[in-house]
Amino acid sequence: MKPRIAFFDMASCEGCQLAILDCEDVFLHILDLVDIVEFREALSEKAPRFDVAFIEGSINREIDAERLRDIRARCTWLVSLGACACHGNVQARSNALSPAENLQRVYGPEACHVAQTDSQYWPLWAHTRVRAVHEVVKVDYHLRGCPVDRDEFLHLVKRLVAGSLPRFARQPVCVECKHNGNECVFEHGDTCMGQITWGGCDAICINGGYRCDGCRGLLPGVNLDSHRALLRERGLSDTDIDSRYRLFCSADVQPRGTRP
Amino acid sequence: MRGFLTTRATVLDWLHTLDQLGDVFFPQPMGESSFRFDKVRKHSLLAFEDFDATSTEKPFRASTCVQPPGKKLSPNNEQIFHFSKNENGEYQLTPTLDDRQRILAGVRPCDLKAIHLMDRINSDGIPDAHYLSRRQNTTIIAHDCLQPCDQHCFCDATGSLRWREGADIFLTPQPEAKLLIEALTERGEQLLADAGFTPCKNIEGRKTLAEAQRTKPFGRQFNAPLQQVIDTVSNSGESPVWDKHVERCFSCGTCNLVCPTCYCFDVQDDFNVDDPDSGQRTRSWDGCMLEAFAVVAGGHNFRPQLAARQRHRIKRKLAWLPARFGDGSFCVGCGRCGHQCTVDIDIFDIANDLLATAETKP
Amino acid sequence: MKPVDFDAHVLTPRMARIIEARDMTAQERFFRLQLPQPLTHRPGQFVMASILGIGEAPISISCGPRHDGQLELLVRNTGSLTHAMHQLQAGDYMGIRGPFGSGFQLSEFEGRDILFVAGGLGLAPLRSLIEPVVGEPQRFGRVTLISGCRTPADELYREQMQAWAKRPNVHVIRLVTDTDHLPWGGEVGLVTAPIAKLEMDVANTLAVLCGPPVMYKFVIMELAARGLPNAQIFIDLERRMRCGIGKCGHCQINHVTCCQEGPVFRFSDLESLPEALT
Repeated sequence: MKPRIAFFDMASCEGCQLAILDCEDVFLHILDLVDIVEFREALSEKAPRFDVAFIEGSINREIDAERLRDIRARCTWLVSLGACACHGNVQARSNALSPAENLQRVYGPEACHVAQTDSQYWPLWAHTRVRAVHEVVKVDYHLRGCPVDRDEFLHLVKRLVAGSLPRFARQPVCVECKHNGNECVFEHGDTCMGQITWGGCDAICINGGYRCDGCRGLLPGVNLDSHRALLRERGLSDTDIDSRYRLFCSADVQPRGTRP
Repeated sequence: MRGFLTTRATVLDWLHTLDQLGDVFFPQPMGESSFRFDKVRKHSLLAFEDFDATSTEKPFRASTCVQPPGKKLSPNNEQIFHFSKNENGEYQLTPTLDDRQRILAGVRPCDLKAIHLMDRINSDGIPDAHYLSRRQNTTIIAHDCLQPCDQHCFCDATGSLRWREGADIFLTPQPEAKLLIEALTERGEQLLADAGFTPCKNIEGRKTLAEAQRTKPFGRQFNAPLQQVIDTVSNSGESPVWDKHVERCFSCGTCNLVCPTCYCFDVQDDFNVDDPDSGQRTRSWDGCMLEAFAVVAGGHNFRPQLAARQRHRIKRKLAWLPARFGDGSFCVGCGRCGHQCTVDIDIFDIANDLLATAETKP
Repeated sequence: MKPVDFDAHVLTPRMARIIEARDMTAQERFFRLQLPQPLTHRPGQFVMASILGIGEAPISISCGPRHDGQLELLVRNTGSLTHAMHQLQAGDYMGIRGPFGSGFQLSEFEGRDILFVAGGLGLAPLRSLIEPVVGEPQRFGRVTLISGCRTPADELYREQMQAWAKRPNVHVIRLVTDTDHLPWGGEVGLVTAPIAKLEMDVANTLAVLCGPPVMYKFVIMELAARGLPNAQIFIDLERRMRCGIGKCGHCQINHVTCCQEGPVFRFSDLESLPEALT
């Protein structure tokens, strides 16, 4: 029997599901290998059990966490799909702010008072913390990036179909950037987070002339102190640096001073 | 072997015509201040560096290419073999050997020596068919450097500045934007036979002329002769120097991946999604500074400490491989690792620091 | 450069048919393969084994030299490739390259007493030497095998070890560190424990060790306490390998390439390699 795979979206832009639909040149061949049983962006079918569940999006409300636990109980492999699911992405920036402060920033000074009294706003903004999927349930694999890399998705599906296990190299973006022979971003005066960011994206942003902003999350055990010092040497203030670190990596960045 | 004298522009035009023999590669500008050793296309703007002080315009200078020319002989994601199943259900495996003719032009002496060292590595013991197949169908046109290419250069200190072996044709800059062209091999001789360049009668005189223009001292120099550097690094076991030079290291592998004498690789298999019984095995550049380099199945890491990985990298270049092959330093002094490192960790500084600590020991 | 002769198939495997596949423990699966041509390997050598499209890894040869083109491998389920190998059945194919590495020279062991110390999966490569040694008792001296594993359920080649133990001049000590409430006829403890009590003609004994990295240090301490010189101790090392031909760089220990000069080393040759037993 073909493995049954399903896609679920939590708090996200659903761009990762679109990135997967973007495999259109091989999508029909993938359907020879697997049955897609749940996929809101492309299907309306619902299934009780499946082999692989892809979770897109962060967990912002307890009701999402309950839904996620239910999905976990119904699948064999659970995969975090994209930056929101892997480490909270941009919405996890709100973790560093109080809900009132957050509201004020987004909707202006009036909004925070509205939120305190208007029950309409309450469920959306009163969460204590935006969580990554692995903070709620066990995650077997992470497909990182904003959006995910289609080759990594294909690799994962193919490996699971073949009875093997996916292999994602634990190395920074610099590796693939050097594979591609790019000019280092620091060489032309800009700064980059490639040294401390999980690779696997083929350094797509630097290939295209931009820099790495770390959408794939912090590589475990990286020398963050050295990176901060480097950005300071390149003229960035601590506020600028925090802002850069929090753009995508929020859920993974530890507050300054906590590193030994 | 014969020599010719002609202008740089004539040689560049000639390089453009060589594409009928195979792909021609030459350093080409990339980004703001970098160079890529790239395929020459019809409209590629090629230029040799200006070496003579007589030029009135701002002289054109080029640093080393981010990826060294030798990498064209062992490209990243190189296919090793491809496989499929025949009608009897048997696997058919075909090694992928690239025997197309190619020309690597504009190769500096440091990169030329690096190619020579990779020839040694890949011919040693059980030869690497994939490298050798490319190499034996490659023509190399190298050129002399009369000025260090950038402030990271220390090719003279590592004994590569005057390296010639491996080049089929060697170019020496001459005054008035000219080049002395020498064939160093039969292959080079053949290539030049129909070029129509003006023969040069006084090759040695021309070389002396170039030598007189060479910057002295040429680039950075170690604080001791090369042999002493190699001896010192060879005898350096535990040392605070290793720790000092990894304090700011990201373990990102850049120093390995831009090094012309780093050749370690990882291997990946893949099958085709439209026919799962077919696929290919490829290899990609790996680096011993990366954390997972020495991890075995089951998770044990034989080199978990960053300082130990740094020591491994430096000792390969300046101790172990020199001892094994007797061809001098495996660091060719191109300066790429120090240049590309965003926190300025430089094998040159590490070697000098090891020399300094060795001297202070009783 | 001067032209160099090369074998175009150096990195391309031959396909070997699996003629027997069975789980030996929950973690280890045994394979018997039929190769198109005999491998002609020495004990202690390894092959690069692969599943096409999935990957390739170094696997120790676990049978003695043989001429019928058969090959035995014992594969532990530790990663993406070996996970897939555990699903292979008789009739399936595995890619094989090799044999690679130095291995053991049988002639060096002639007339000598041999002490084998195997920890866990380390028994598999040692078996490639034990088989020929036990098979020719007149050629070798007394054979002692100390084999240890975690629990009785993890023990490898149990019947064969019991058969070896019945032969004259062969002494087998089987240990577990924990009986885990299972029936167990061997001893309980670490492989280091029996060494102090062994009857040993130190001058004529060669020790051969294979096991997890943590084992070596303690076994060597025990052997040193018995006065066994380092030159009489052989160690079979494990390293990450990607090519088997000394090119990929992963198995390099200081200046030595494990897949070429190793994976079997005399301990006296490892003393100058600080990274060897870490």
